[in-house]
Amino acid sequence: MEQFESLLTCCVCLDRYRNPKLLPCQHSFCMEPCMDGLVDYVRRQVKCPECRAEHRIPYQGVQGFPTNVTLQRFLELHAQIAGELPDPTAGQIMERCNVCSEKAYCALCAHCDKKVCDDCKSAHMEVLRREIVRINNQVRRGMNRLQDILGVVERNTTNLQTNCAAVAGEVDEIHKRLAKALKDRTDFLRTEVDRYLATELRNLTHLKDNLELELSNIQSNCDLAEKHMNDDTEWEDTELMDTKEIFLKTVEFLRNFDYEAGDYNRRVRFIMTHDPNQLVMHVASYGELNITQPNAYSGGLQPSQGLTRSKSDHRLATQFRQQEESKNYYENDEPILGGRKFGERRPPPPERHTRDYNVTDDYSGYESEHRPRRFRSRFVRSHQQDNDSDTEQSIRSAKTEKQEKEKEKVVDTEDATRGPLSGIFRLSDCPRVMQRIMDAESGKKKEKKEPPPPPKPVVQPTPQPRRPPPAQRQQSEDDEITRLKRQNKGAASSQEPDRPAPRPVEEERTSIARKPPTPAREASSDGESDESVGSLQRTQQRKAPPPVQKPAATGRRPSADAPTPHRPAARAPSTESSASTESSGSAVKHTGAILTIAELKAKYCSGGPKPNPRLCSTGNERTAPVTTNGTAGGAQRVQSRFVGSQRPTPAPAPAEPAHDEDSDTSSEEETDSSEESEEEPAPQRKPESQAMARSDIGPLLARSSNARSDAHDNKSKDPPPSQTRYRSRQPSQTEEEPAPRYGAGSSYNNRYGSKPREEETTSSIDDDSKYPTARSRYLALKERRNRLARSKSSHTGFGAGDDDDQDEPVSPTTASPSAYLAARYGSGTGGSELSRSRSSHALKSRESSPERPPTGEKDGAALSSWARYLKNKYGSRGKERDTSGTSSSASRRLSLGLPLRSANELASSDDDSKNAAGSPISPTAATAAVAGFAAAGSSPRSQYLQKRRLQFSVGSRGSEPGCFTWPRGIAVGPDNTMVVADSSNHRVQVFDSNGIFIKEFGQYGSGEGEFDCLAGVAVNRIGQYIIADRYNHRIQVFDPQGRFLRAFGSQGTGDGKFNYPWGITTDALGFIYVCDKENHRVQVFQSDGTFVGKFGSFGAKLGQLEHPHYIAVSSTNRVLVSDSNNHRIQVFDVNGRVLSSFGEEGSEDGQFKFPRGVAVDDQGYIVVADSGNNRIQIFHPDGTFLRAFGSWGSGDGEFKGLEGIAVMTGGNIIVCDRENHRVQVF
Amino acid sequence: MAALPRRIIKETQRLMQEPVPGISAVPSETNARYFHVIVTGPEDSPFEGGLFKLELFLPEDYPMSAPKVRFITKIYHPNIDRLGRICLDILKDKWSPALQIRTVLLSIQALLSAPNPDDPLANDVAELWKVNESEAIRNAKEWTRRYAMDN
Repeated sequence: MEQFESLLTCCVCLDRYRNPKLLPCQHSFCMEPCMDGLVDYVRRQVKCPECRAEHRIPYQGVQGFPTNVTLQRFLELHAQIAGELPDPTAGQIMERCNVCSEKAYCALCAHCDKKVCDDCKSAHMEVLRREIVRINNQVRRGMNRLQDILGVVERNTTNLQTNCAAVAGEVDEIHKRLAKALKDRTDFLRTEVDRYLATELRNLTHLKDNLELELSNIQSNCDLAEKHMNDDTEWEDTELMDTKEIFLKTVEFLRNFDYEAGDYNRRVRFIMTHDPNQLVMHVASYGELNITQPNAYSGGLQPSQGLTRSKSDHRLATQFRQQEESKNYYENDEPILGGRKFGERRPPPPERHTRDYNVTDDYSGYESEHRPRRFRSRFVRSHQQDNDSDTEQSIRSAKTEKQEKEKEKVVDTEDATRGPLSGIFRLSDCPRVMQRIMDAESGKKKEKKEPPPPPKPVVQPTPQPRRPPPAQRQQSEDDEITRLKRQNKGAASSQEPDRPAPRPVEEERTSIARKPPTPAREASSDGESDESVGSLQRTQQRKAPPPVQKPAATGRRPSADAPTPHRPAARAPSTESSASTESSGSAVKHTGAILTIAELKAKYCSGGPKPNPRLCSTGNERTAPVTTNGTAGGAQRVQSRFVGSQRPTPAPAPAEPAHDEDSDTSSEEETDSSEESEEEPAPQRKPESQAMARSDIGPLLARSSNARSDAHDNKSKDPPPSQTRYRSRQPSQTEEEPAPRYGAGSSYNNRYGSKPREEETTSSIDDDSKYPTARSRYLALKERRNRLARSKSSHTGFGAGDDDDQDEPVSPTTASPSAYLAARYGSGTGGSELSRSRSSHALKSRESSPERPPTGEKDGAALSSWARYLKNKYGSRGKERDTSGTSSSASRRLSLGLPLRSANELASSDDDSKNAAGSPISPTAATAAVAGFAAAGSSPRSQYLQKRRLQFSVGSRGSEPGCFTWPRGIAVGPDNTMVVADSSNHRVQVFDSNGIFIKEFGQYGSGEGEFDCLAGVAVNRIGQYIIADRYNHRIQVFDPQGRFLRAFGSQGTGDGKFNYPWGITTDALGFIYVCDKENHRVQVFQSDGTFVGKFGSFGAKLGQLEHPHYIAVSSTNRVLVSDSNNHRIQVFDVNGRVLSSFGEEGSEDGQFKFPRGVAVDDQGYIVVADSGNNRIQIFHPDGTFLRAFGSWGSGDGEFKGLEGIAVMTGGNIIVCDRENHRVQVF
Repeated sequence: MAALPRRIIKETQRLMQEPVPGISAVPSETNARYFHVIVTGPEDSPFEGGLFKLELFLPEDYPMSAPKVRFITKIYHPNIDRLGRICLDILKDKWSPALQIRTVLLSIQALLSAPNPDDPLANDVAELWKVNESEAIRNAKEWTRRYAMDN
């Protein structure tokens, strides 16, 4: 037997012969690997290991040697006799293992998707086992999250129910009340009618009786007289007299009696106090369910935060599942279980591709567009889901056919047991798994080395009835098909409830509600004009440095004169004239450069309490050592300092050897002196500047009075200016205290109730009584607007008298904020312009308000803030432009502070009052504004001190409009809109000041107008959106309509390159400040993207930054940076010099933990989103602590991870509450 | 390191189970391809009574190429040089995969019995063996006693 054994053993591998090949020398060897290894490839020979005979290898290789059939028979015989199992590897061909590259019998390893040898495979399975254990631990740990959510969902279910019940009760209540009121009134009216009828009827019958009596009396008298008044009867004279008297009386009575028809002709008429149609309409739509979530389940008025959140989570889970599933089709290496059954093998790639193609065909357009986006619209998603499940099935069935034979397949479980959200099913439902477990339990070891049952996260102790393995393997295509059908059915029915049933209705409603506030008719004219102006401006800005010089010089001259103390009075006329004569050059004056000079001067004159005189007047500078520079040197100073420092030699014409140096030094001097001005001012100049400041009042008042008188002259129907002013101020005093200026509820009364009546005594005294309802008032307003529009034309006529390039046809009826801006920036003239556009705006907002009556009142509020905004931002600048060349209004504002501001206010409120007859709103707005400034000293402070309560919050998690996924940056747009960087939805959303969705733009990608997790947003003063496109490492600029304008920057560390740019802001001059987070610096750009400067480096020292996140620039040109990892806010000047720093790590008042958002209001108060402490802190302008509020959580006024923050013009603080996926307004 | 080929495992097992008389080959604990070998000097040879240590290493492509074998114990033999290298045809060009460790070691043992001075490796030894065989044998005995017997 021993020898027999050895005869069956290959002498090379010392193993039983496998596929023995017979050499011509009659020795046999296994074909592989033995014979293979003997081959001498060079000589194409094989040398017999036994006898060393050399044999030529046949053409087709060693396979060509004959198989030793006899030996094979012996082998079989031996196997039979010995009862050995057949060689498991029989018939297989050896390959190189793809892992250890040994030649062996390889099998496909599911782990690495390669053919590997047994050893490697078992190693891989070991790895897999360990991984599963690890993941299982994670699953265990993560499971309570699901349980939490379950709890939340349950709670929300009850919440929803109670909420709905409450709302239903409310509706019933209202119905009862309305019904009762209606019934009461009806009853009352009917009894009134009845009563009236009774009395009148009584009167009438009475009268009728009397008349009948009279008639009969007179009749009898007449008869009697006819009969007897002849000679037949003897009458005494007295009797005749009496008779005559009677008859005379009768005649008189007949002649005089007049049936007072009027009395009884009084028809009762039923007069509706309201237009019945409207009343019906009102009743018919007396309420609607306002569901904050566009896609929320239909339900209560105010679904709780938790509900919406969990809902979105739920959706997210579904999305996640779909992603996984769809990934299966798009990506080949998909190691996740998702969508795949246990033990199933992934389908071979080529096959998948063909299937894939079929699938994508259905919605390829959409898919291709949206594939990169992780969240798709629900509609498409569910559509896709259907498709997906189809394909999934088909793939699976195809796979089943393709299974390798020795591999048992896990038969698909019933679909019902699959998790509806994740697609995960119970392992215990899987017959294969159960088989394994049973085997393991019964200690029966399988021959095959198979992975033991992996640890199961959700194995149920009760195994489902399972089919025996042979049956499984026999499962035919038919079975597959039925299963498929079943699954489809299941999928269809299971997906139905996912979609909320009332969706169409909802959508309809939202579409109505979201009717864009800019009607179509605006689009044509305004968009155009705006764009043209914008482009004009752009070109101007680009060209700014060279052409600016000349006009700047001329424009500066008066200003140079100004500071001389001898000419305070003469200055006013001169500036006036310069302003008017320069109307042609006004276009140039609007460029950044000129504003720069003005602004700079403003800063130097008034940045500190004691301004540096040298900088107040460029004239002084010119007479200073730099004189030789002439205009060139001056021109350089005209430019912004950034530009100046970047280009020290701006191509000066008269080039002297020392010139460059001079200009350098001059710019240096400039910056130096800016320092001086803040640190050590020249005391002897102080009175001068004060004088100048005082003198500033002169021209301004004169001008405003001019404007007033102009207005008076031109608009005869306007009330006298003084009176107007008085009137417009009067209410301001009543509203002095920080009243709820923007409280939606009260503002209704304030604005439309008492105030307007006060204002409109002349024009529409009975406005309120005539139009008691808001609705009718809107009609009235509309009517009046038309009137106003007519009157407006004359007004604008006067206003536009002296500007050439302004676009006259910005007609009030079509005006929009952009039109306003166009008017603002396109024209050079001042006050009238302001009033015009202001009023046009007023019209605009009134015009839009009828479209959504419920928010109309709020609109009024928004308007007033608008007005204020205009005042703050542009109103004064408008003046500045007029007097540009003197010192800027900013300087006036700052040097004079409050009085001047109110002077400004007066001037413009006067403008408002010109429209008083037509617009009841604008004076109120003005007064509100005045009130705002009158209280400026204390108001913001007290306002901030009161801040705590949430006004409202916007959004919840999701990708629909109005929803967010990790909102980050936030900014306030020109019309007090809220601009939110919806980071992980890769878009920007814009809301109005009441949180009503206006528009969105952007999508995932790296092309133009596409974002990748954008972070910061900013809106410059011409309404352009500037976006820090974080993962694309660039900045993008969009026009006010959300259209892409330009992008700049790329990843890197050089100038103009970014590493995860985060916060972004822009200053009054349009410079863009970017927090270049991973480069630990701030970069500054011109509005066209030209690199201007940078500051900050990595570190914790003063002036160094570590992960700066957000940035803000105050009206005094202080740059605040949230130096997040250093837990502080640093304050820089625009040159990047550190001014101060406050805060340190901690959670006390005034301490931070990773502060993020930072904002500054126009009074300089600083608001910081203290992210790590989940609170908002407010600081005085000097950085001392004022107040903090907020805590961790997801309730109102609670935060989870704060991001950007901004202050609206009304003083409202808006903040992105990242992990709660919402924006909160305080 | 790749798994040990089946053949090596088999050979090792067989060497352990059915050791060849006069030969012991034990794989190293750290390297299964490295064997510590002890061969007894064959009877009726100058090496009788000596225990000769060898090392044997199975190269990567074993059995397609021959194992590397070297005497560690000094030995006076015309086909073995001072470094212990062995001049044996089956370890060189006459290697056949059909040979095994045991056959190689048996061949080496046989080589000790029958030195082949016509195919020398150590020239001086071979010369002496040819010229004065008895002295050579005496030397061999001397060396065996000196180097292969003390332990």
